[in-house]
Amino acid sequence: MIQPLLSTKGVSKCFGGLKAVDGVDFDVFPGEILGILGPNGAGKTVLFNLISGIYQPTAGKVYFHNDRIDGLPPHLVARKGIGRTFQIVRPFATLTVLQNLLVARGITRYGHLSKVWGSWGSQSEIKAAMEVLEKVGLTELAHRKAGLLPLGNLRRLEIARALVVGHTLLLLDESFSGLRHEEILHLEALIQKIRGDGRTVILIEHNMRVAMGLCERIVVLDHGQKIAEGPPSIIQQNEQVIEAYLGRKGITYAA
Amino acid sequence: MSSYVITIGTIIVIQAIAVCGLNVIVGYAGQISLGHAAFFGIGAYSAAILTTKAGFSFWTALPLVIGMSGFIGLLLGLPSIRVREDFLAITTIGINFIVEAVFRYVQFFGGALGIGGIPRIVLFGIKLKGITFFLLCLGFLIVVLFICWWFTRSWASLACYAIREEETAASTMGISPVRFKLLAFVIGTAMAGLGGSLYAHYMQFISAGDFSFPVSVAFLSMLVLGGMGTLWGPVVGTLILGVLPEVFRPLVDYRIFFYTLLLLLMIRFQPGGILGEGSVVRRILAPILKGGRA
Repeated sequence: MIQPLLSTKGVSKCFGGLKAVDGVDFDVFPGEILGILGPNGAGKTVLFNLISGIYQPTAGKVYFHNDRIDGLPPHLVARKGIGRTFQIVRPFATLTVLQNLLVARGITRYGHLSKVWGSWGSQSEIKAAMEVLEKVGLTELAHRKAGLLPLGNLRRLEIARALVVGHTLLLLDESFSGLRHEEILHLEALIQKIRGDGRTVILIEHNMRVAMGLCERIVVLDHGQKIAEGPPSIIQQNEQVIEAYLGRKGITYAA
Repeated sequence: MSSYVITIGTIIVIQAIAVCGLNVIVGYAGQISLGHAAFFGIGAYSAAILTTKAGFSFWTALPLVIGMSGFIGLLLGLPSIRVREDFLAITTIGINFIVEAVFRYVQFFGGALGIGGIPRIVLFGIKLKGITFFLLCLGFLIVVLFICWWFTRSWASLACYAIREEETAASTMGISPVRFKLLAFVIGTAMAGLGGSLYAHYMQFISAGDFSFPVSVAFLSMLVLGGMGTLWGPVVGTLILGVLPEVFRPLVDYRIFFYTLLLLLMIRFQPGGILGEGSVVRRILAPILKGGRA
């Protein structure tokens, strides 16, 4: 049996009386693209925040490579090899696009005070960053201030920052939202390529077509609970999922 | 040069060293500090005590003074760095008042009388005063600017910028916000300590009032005016706010009025400071600077 790369066991998060994530179990296996679906407020982003250490779970455990990572602060989770993007983009606005990537490149240094005094502008680092900028199509904007970019480019920047180091697991939070059709196609191809490099991807997605086309497996959340899990074809038929998205069956509307 | 000009110049250079330190904390790492004068004072008082009571010379005391300022910066930074923005501003104001009160009321620090008889700095057998002392301070300012320049090229500065811009995103890239904020705090307070030490040896007499909260406000005003996060901003800001009161001496009654007006105009029209991103000065200088580099 294949060992899961990441697994959550009964992970929960409460904000006061609200259970944003409620006892969710799921596994991600190496090399797969897993989709997390659910209506607004289902707890998808909270789940990402629990994995990446931004929130600490109220209950439950998170394992990565069989090590427990729940309770670790975000910078230690990142150093274990989990990269992520944000649905509400968080660029380093006054830095250039290239510098945004270089910040991410420093991940192997930030843990050792002796390694942070060298120059970030070395040829090899810039080359590595430029290669990734080319992959996401931001080469021409490399020296532009990140705060001046339109949303579509900022989404690519988010992905580029996650890609520029050798993370084994990438968490992509609605990277497709707000993109034009051609941009969506480009990004789909990019994610396929990332997986081809032997990386594992978990993506939160609202766009059904994208999620169904890209993911091998889908986990559906509603009101913080996992209501379905399986390949896209089965998920599409799942009554609970249809109910969560479209409302209860049997209600008829007058034309 | 008249001794008047040298006096003004020396004070400006000493203050510029402290403001460079503030720039590391506020400009590079984005952590507001309204208590920088406290660390200027810690440097001044530790230099004064080591040289008047423990028999150290300026030079043998200097590493201890800088180390002490940085270490106290670390201790006071540990709790304060965990709060954000407006709370950090208030916490640092509190630090300033506490440190000033310790200087004023603890007998060891000379109490209300302050500490006098601080010796002049001796270099190559010469007692430095006037122009030679000014040149020594200028030398230290150049060293500090070089350290700042070095810092801005380092991965450490990149981590600090990232925290300043987007702390959550920075933390998901392996950057520990607490560690790098503290690092900036230690470097900045150590520079303030160096400035304070030079101040003590220049004035030869110090008292708690020299390091009160209004001094911190003045430091921050100099930084904002010159341009936060720029290399030369602290120098330019200190120079302007140091020279203006002298030029407008006839208008001394209206000094605060002009100060405030200048700051308000800056915040309204040039929030990045004189040397900040997109400022008028930068736009005028851009072709010249580019020509110089090519």
